[in-house]
Amino acid sequence: MKKILIVDDHADIRRLIRMTLEFEAYNVFEAEDGEGALAVAMQEQPDLVLLDVMMPGSVNGLQVCGTLKSLPKPPRILLLTARGRSEDLEAGLQAGADAYMVKPFSPLKLMETIDQQWEV
Amino acid sequence: MNANSSVFGVYAMSTLHSNCFSDAAGLQMEQLIGDLGRMYRERNEALEEVASAHHEALFRLSLAADLKDDDTGVHIIRIGYLSEALALVLGQSPAMARMLRKAAPMHDIGKIGIPDAVLKKPGAFSSLERATMNQHSEMGAEILGRSRIPLFQLAAELALAHHERWDGGGYPAGLQADAIPLTGRIVAVVDFFDALTMDRCYRRAFADDVALQMLAEQRGSAFDPHIVDVFLANAQTFIRLRDDINRTRPTFNQLVDNG
Repeated sequence: MKKILIVDDHADIRRLIRMTLEFEAYNVFEAEDGEGALAVAMQEQPDLVLLDVMMPGSVNGLQVCGTLKSLPKPPRILLLTARGRSEDLEAGLQAGADAYMVKPFSPLKLMETIDQQWEV
Repeated sequence: MNANSSVFGVYAMSTLHSNCFSDAAGLQMEQLIGDLGRMYRERNEALEEVASAHHEALFRLSLAADLKDDDTGVHIIRIGYLSEALALVLGQSPAMARMLRKAAPMHDIGKIGIPDAVLKKPGAFSSLERATMNQHSEMGAEILGRSRIPLFQLAAELALAHHERWDGGGYPAGLQADAIPLTGRIVAVVDFFDALTMDRCYRRAFADDVALQMLAEQRGSAFDPHIVDVFLANAQTFIRLRDDINRTRPTFNQLVDNG
């Protein structure tokens, strides 16, 4: 079963995303900040990370993205960005992100976008 | 579903309680997503059922077309498996190769519309007969291409492209080289080799080495030179696979299995 890590500081957003991911058979993990994300990622080796760019704390989403993408077997990374933050998006793609969704996003579009990541 | 709750607990216990839904709103939201999930799964299952029934119907029609000039009907099954194997050796993704296995057996479905007097004619065609015969590409694409399902879109592409030639002298569009879809170039090579090495109503099968030689001669004229090279380099693997298929006779259900 594919592993997906949700990284978002907003607990309700994580909950909604988790429930959406459970439409399919995914093993879902969560982290609420950058440091937590790196810790879970190292331990669980997720296949894909849903990564909020804007998070409080010492490690931001872009740093998480850069660090994960420098691993020997990097996960696919799907960025979650706020509307109107195109500079985040650009920096995220620079940092190696594979795809992005702008919040608020359609759950079905999320499932499709994740599905496409497996085909690459 | 609850197997992850410990992980959830470890990493998410210290949730910020600001910017959360109220409990009631949160529960209602869960109901909504739960319903959406149920509809999502029901939709996917229904779509799969329809696609599968559609696939089987078109496969049976392809089989009927194939039986007009192959009394076993195994040719189209071989085309599926051999196309998949060749696609994999060419470095295509397993998902792509699998889709080719399912789609390629339908590439000649248009032969259902070709009169037997033409289809089974021994010897050379008159120009009118040739023109009639060549319609099977477009007929096939027309039959297959009415679906929005990717598998049938691919099958339609194959039907249309499998008689295009690398040198541009093929039909129906006279496409040249890379302008011919890769999938069509793959199936063309497989179809050529397999057709040569089976008995037809108007001739006996060619021996494998003769057929391989004939394939090599078409390198860069009828067929993509790289694909021919890869086929020849792996010929023994393909021949073994073909012999396995002839012995085990995979069914439609095996052909479309996702394994």
